[in-house]
Amino acid sequence: MFDRRQIRQGSKYLTDESKMTGRADYVVLPNDEAELREAMRINHSKGNRMTVSAMRTGVCGGCVPTDGYVLSLERMTGVIGIGRDERGYFVRVLPCTTVREMNSLLERRDFDGLTDITPGAIESLGSEPVPWLYPIDPTELDGSIGGNIACNSSGPRTFKYGPTRDWVRRLYMVLPDGQGLDITRGDIRADGWRMTFPAGRELYSFDVPRYPYNDGVKSAMGPRFGKDMDLVDLFVGSEGIFGIIAEADVYLAPWHPTVSLIAFLPSDEDALGMIRDIRADERVDPEFLEYMDGGSLDLIRRVRADDPAAIRIPDLPDGAGAAVFLDVAADGTEDSRIEAVCRMAEAHGGDASRIWCGRGREDRGRMRDMRHAIPRSIFEYVASLKGAMPGIHKMGTDMAVPDDRADEMMSFYREKLEEAGLEYVVFGHLGNNHPHVEIILKSMDDFERAKTVYAEFARKAVELGGSPSAEHGIGKIKREYMRMMYGDEGIEELRCVKSVIDPKGILCPGNILEERR
Amino acid sequence: MRFVVFVKQVPDTMSVTVDEDGSLVRAGVPSILDPYSELALLRTLRIRGDDDEVVAVTMGPMQAADALRRCIELGADDSFLLSDRDFAGADTWATSRTLAAYAGRYACDAGLYVFGGRAIDGETGQVPFEFAALMDVQQFAYVTDLSRDGDAFVAVQDYGTLARTARVPKGSVVAFGNVDPNGSIPTAEGYLRARGHEPHILNRIDVGLGLYSVGLKGSLTRIASTRTVQSARRNMMVEITDPSKAAEIIIREAGSR
Repeated sequence: MFDRRQIRQGSKYLTDESKMTGRADYVVLPNDEAELREAMRINHSKGNRMTVSAMRTGVCGGCVPTDGYVLSLERMTGVIGIGRDERGYFVRVLPCTTVREMNSLLERRDFDGLTDITPGAIESLGSEPVPWLYPIDPTELDGSIGGNIACNSSGPRTFKYGPTRDWVRRLYMVLPDGQGLDITRGDIRADGWRMTFPAGRELYSFDVPRYPYNDGVKSAMGPRFGKDMDLVDLFVGSEGIFGIIAEADVYLAPWHPTVSLIAFLPSDEDALGMIRDIRADERVDPEFLEYMDGGSLDLIRRVRADDPAAIRIPDLPDGAGAAVFLDVAADGTEDSRIEAVCRMAEAHGGDASRIWCGRGREDRGRMRDMRHAIPRSIFEYVASLKGAMPGIHKMGTDMAVPDDRADEMMSFYREKLEEAGLEYVVFGHLGNNHPHVEIILKSMDDFERAKTVYAEFARKAVELGGSPSAEHGIGKIKREYMRMMYGDEGIEELRCVKSVIDPKGILCPGNILEERR
Repeated sequence: MRFVVFVKQVPDTMSVTVDEDGSLVRAGVPSILDPYSELALLRTLRIRGDDDEVVAVTMGPMQAADALRRCIELGADDSFLLSDRDFAGADTWATSRTLAAYAGRYACDAGLYVFGGRAIDGETGQVPFEFAALMDVQQFAYVTDLSRDGDAFVAVQDYGTLARTARVPKGSVVAFGNVDPNGSIPTAEGYLRARGHEPHILNRIDVGLGLYSVGLKGSLTRIASTRTVQSARRNMMVEITDPSKAAEIIIREAGSR
């Protein structure tokens, strides 16, 4: 029998990193797939609404319940086994395994107790000259792999490796009525625009939505539907509304050493210019390409003074007004890549003495900590406002646009924020034209104005052929942008699929699709 | 003027774990430039003039060249690695003697001999002062700040309850007593400069010492035995919201000791 506990006010199960708060009566804590299926069977028959939760590191309220039950997968954690197919090695993991845990085990080659999913895979992986790791870095390494798949998250290394979807080999799904569905990529495909699949005694069949999923930019706007689509892609990015991930196989890539570089430049324009140069010149070929504006560097300077967790960040060079952060492969060609970066920095007011260059794990970790201090300090700041302003949540953009519209979008951000008189910082994945604009809220009035500005950003991103949610997903905070992108028709198509797979509407109510009351 | 900075490569103690028996697990632990050494080097680089030279020196196995490469990346001009099988097992006395022999032959005219006051893997804190005694020069411990004053130097020393500003004659030993918690990261300029840098490697014969003056044979320390000391402390974390129940648990746990 699965464990069920009453939820008290202020419980950790009622919020996530968006700092949005919800309501629920109970939390259900299955220990394994059998208990998970039992929990779903019983609650499905009673019509109890279940919101799936794991590490609660999402930033769009996807695991924040609106009512009913929280289904926390926190006990279903760990790597089960290793396999190999024609594409390469993969690991089989339980849904609440974090990317950090998975990669730490792979790096240490600590394979004791793991199962060979294909014969000899463990021994073969153990004898590879370099470790093989899961290459997607969702920035939050303590998020669960199930959560990553559910919202098709990406991160800095998506620049080179693509989003989570590209690395999902197989899913074991538990459907809303408790049926199990074991699907490997290639097993079940739609017949043109009609998808039909069996699960237990049921046969599910629906028209594949035709909303225009934007493949031209980084996007985490719901599942990617398409003609002859693979069934696995129904569940990747659907944020738990069609089923619960009970087990997943994800592919690995061979590790290679890298050198991290942070170039400090006099101004935001210089940094943006340098990023343009790096992208236009194939000599550098970065693994990721990130931007930190002047406001972000000021935030780091402030955080360093107050936050013991930021103590490992060295002094920033005097007069640093913006920064460009990138990794290059250390495959014997790194010297010429670094020289090219130095020349590009010099062309934009920087110089080689103002570029941090970390080749060891320790230095690279500290550079990464510096970049992550920006969103972390904003999360903590918003959390500190919750006492006085309970309705507030974080207001950070997550929009990507095509290459040729990046400058226009950046100018639009600045113009609208200045007009609204809002304080903000800009940082993030400029390599994918995907900066995070974080609005520093100080009052509920700021919050209201920020919501208006945010909607304008989303409209502009769609107008420019981009995506209003590039990596965080939709959850409950960004539903209106889903409608903005796909129109009423697209939303209705998605709702039809939901009504076939989850006719009672019990699974993750309010995620992606607004509830009809 | 030439500044000689003696540095040490140490295991990254932040990466050291303890196994079930309480023994340190050293296998696979990466080696780093000791943070005390790093601060000593960075403070020396601050006072370097245009015509000055900063030389990093270490004694250790061949892989200690990595620590010297980092010194070059951080701004040192040249480096020496004192490496010989005979140096293995040296205690602080044999180490000081080897470093002093190097200094006597290759750097007897140094403006300053700079050390980290101790190292994160040993905490003995004896080498700088034994070296000073062997070289017969003045020694300045617990230095937190160093500046130039003409041909000499001024050091601020922190003795905990007493801060002292002292004039440091040329040729003295200066030992920095702290680390920079923020640390530093090499620059691309340093990285490119360190490209292809190879330290000068010196063995026992090069520094002119006999077999019984170095390494284990030259050490005065004799270890009779070692044992692992288990910590008697036990931690327990309980998540509970009711204060009276929490108090009950504390009383029960305290009573069970």
